[in-house]
Amino acid sequence: MPNTATSYQLALQQLTDSALPTGAFAHSLGCETYIERGLVRDEASFGVWLGAFISQQLTYSDGLAIRFLYEGTKVAELDEHLTAQLLPRQVREASIKMGIRLLEIGSEAFPSAGLEQYRSLVAGGRADGHQPLAFAVVCRSLGVPLPEALAAYLFAAVTSLTQNAVRAIPLGQNAGQRLLRKAADDVAAAVERIGHLTPDDFGAVSPGLEISQMRHERQRARMFMS
Amino acid sequence: MVNPGGAYLGADLYTVDVEVEAGARLLLTTQSATKIYRTPGSFAEQRMTLNLGEGAQLELAPDQLIAYREASYRQNTHITVHPASSLLMAEVVTPGWSPDGSSFKYEELRLRNEIHVSGVNGPELLALDNLLIRPPLGDVTGMGFMEGFSHLGSLIVVDPRVDQALADELHALTAGCDAYTGVSLTAKKSGTMGLVLRSLSNSTGELNHLLGACTGLLRERWYGQSPLNLRKY
Repeated sequence: MPNTATSYQLALQQLTDSALPTGAFAHSLGCETYIERGLVRDEASFGVWLGAFISQQLTYSDGLAIRFLYEGTKVAELDEHLTAQLLPRQVREASIKMGIRLLEIGSEAFPSAGLEQYRSLVAGGRADGHQPLAFAVVCRSLGVPLPEALAAYLFAAVTSLTQNAVRAIPLGQNAGQRLLRKAADDVAAAVERIGHLTPDDFGAVSPGLEISQMRHERQRARMFMS
Repeated sequence: MVNPGGAYLGADLYTVDVEVEAGARLLLTTQSATKIYRTPGSFAEQRMTLNLGEGAQLELAPDQLIAYREASYRQNTHITVHPASSLLMAEVVTPGWSPDGSSFKYEELRLRNEIHVSGVNGPELLALDNLLIRPPLGDVTGMGFMEGFSHLGSLIVVDPRVDQALADELHALTAGCDAYTGVSLTAKKSGTMGLVLRSLSNSTGELNHLLGACTGLLRERWYGQSPLNLRKY
């Protein structure tokens, strides 16, 4: 398949479709803690949380990992860093669970030498298999330029979280669409920001998000696994 | 450790190397709060390297960090433990100091802890704990960052005896404190594991009380020691 814009555009649409069976619908990544506390309760308050999640978690952790992979850092090293940096256990497990699914889907639909190498590291216990890295390996093999891969990954994450919020808070379907439109600007700003960060910035997620992700482990009634 | 010259100034670089040999026990604390004055030109920096041998115990209990108006500070702590060492480290970061009494007037704080375990196949990365607060870039006080609180406390424990029951016990112990706290576990590496506790509150005293209760439980259970009382003030 030639690496034309059309071929990777359709591949990206497949990889970022919220129906891609990675199980993203089961993860709030800490948002459910805010819902339980009554702090996220409507369109406006979810929008504030989502903005923080994009500018923290998706920027300093997932997004930066994708950029470093594109720039040539070894996947095994980035995988080890993500496992060490994702301190809230449920978020670390979510990244690995969805990452392993994405590696399987990738090998069925978009096989490549890079993907097989990452899969064999995971199979041999030398890597865990994180979602942003699995995504980045597939995108790079398809010739997707870095800014497009970053924007696609971030917006797919935002779409899943928004769909989950629509069900959990609950919000109206139109509110969900307004939130996504607004989040697109935050995603564009994050893509720009990620390009200027340094290795020292990796994993600098805010304490508030991390504590809420940790507290989710002990929440009594919950819809989500994280 | 005596804080040099009363406070850190711009372009200061302090390097601290500590070796806790096999079977040795060390309690390391500061003389008073770590203060960072204005750092025009360049940030102040502390680089600390800690090595723990087999069966070594280290308790790191510095006083709180206070960054003054227009201060930038980087603290890099690189720790290597043996699978059978025991590490306790607690830290409190305040909202800083400014002449008009307002909070978060400093430029930037970076506190980065990297913890490796020296396993049979070479060192493995156990935890990467990275805190970055840059108040001039946007509001750091609200939802998704400091959650309306002013002070941040953290506790990291690395010990082969760390498990889920201990994490749950420490979480329950913090329930009575006036603070917003989370506790979680790292992955297991070379037979040891890390526990990370983070807490937001509105005073150094409340966080010291909370962190002291947690370290007190571990000191008694693991070392048969009473809670830490440094009688510095």
